[in-house]
Amino acid sequence: MRLLLVLLALSAGIVSADDGLAVKNAWIREAPPGASMMAGYLTIENTSQHDNALVAVSSPVFSHVMIHRSETVDGIARMHHLERLPLPAGGSVDLAPGGYHLMMPTPAAQPTAGERIPLTLHFADQSELQVMAPVKKKP
Amino acid sequence: MIFHDPRKLRLARIIPWLIVAALLLACAPPQPPHLQQGTLLPKAKPVAGFNLINDKGESFTLKDLQGHWTFAFFGYTHCPDVCPTSLSMLARVMAKLKQQENLPRLPRGLFVSVDPARDTPAVMAKYVKYFDADFVGVTGEPEQLQPLTRQLGILYAKAAGDSGDAGYHIDHSAAIVLFDPRGRFYALFNVPHDADKIASDFMLIRNYYEASE
Ligand SMILES: [Cu+2]
Repeated sequence: MRLLLVLLALSAGIVSADDGLAVKNAWIREAPPGASMMAGYLTIENTSQHDNALVAVSSPVFSHVMIHRSETVDGIARMHHLERLPLPAGGSVDLAPGGYHLMMPTPAAQPTAGERIPLTLHFADQSELQVMAPVKKKP
Repeated sequence: MIFHDPRKLRLARIIPWLIVAALLLACAPPQPPHLQQGTLLPKAKPVAGFNLINDKGESFTLKDLQGHWTFAFFGYTHCPDVCPTSLSMLARVMAKLKQQENLPRLPRGLFVSVDPARDTPAVMAKYVKYFDADFVGVTGEPEQLQPLTRQLGILYAKAAGDSGDAGYHIDHSAAIVLFDPRGRFYALFNVPHDADKIASDFMLIRNYYEASE
């Protein structure tokens, strides 16, 4: 029964943990030919009473996944590497184009639109969430 | 002339003024359009010569900006977030403009790589065509690129910060530059970019240009 619920949640694109964390709308941008890096996006909801943070992301498809932030200040786009992404209690954080994003080196077997890639999100409270992120061509 | 109807009399008096007003309107220079996202330069800025290389390995100069409008975006292919987002957006602008019946010639989409060390013509060719088959990629050595970017107020610099295993990043202006068919710097689109707004702004800009040239 529990497995069935998990499968249902996976197919709806929503994955929630027991401790009030939920991930929605995960997707990975298909890499244009020759692009060495790829970006992934999702929304994390923290419905719990305690602050949390995303501290790492792993995937069997990517050698590693970094947490990044793009920021445009005074018209200049910059990109920073984050050790952790704070998830305030009762809040929701969007990883979206031009802002927070996951960034990973493009694997040799380049994922193409339509594929689904498993990502594991690791949180500061030691909990984990598994999510299937479809590869898409455009937002 | 004798008007017995006072309303007709009033009308007769204002007709000459209406004619004067219409003539003034017809002779007055066209007013700059009100844009949703773009900023028109107060006066189109001529661009001094430059010498870049296109994605076929051929030379790309000021002449290649002439005879058509050009949207130019400055970035690099190792940038997975901002650059693909902007180029997809620009491809949507082109798709919208393709549907315009009164636009005989589409503007050109130009991707200017500020990372010549990694973005060779071959790398750029595959990359830009993914977004739009008609996009053109150009780049050049820093001493070739800077004379162009400086004139446009476009800034870029290798980022100093930690970028993990991603190699280096380049901080760069996110704006899109619009060149007129004479190759002059004509308008600028700052972020956030919206394809619908940029496409409709472009039509207003073009009509204004046609009326004022
Ligand atoms: Cu990044």
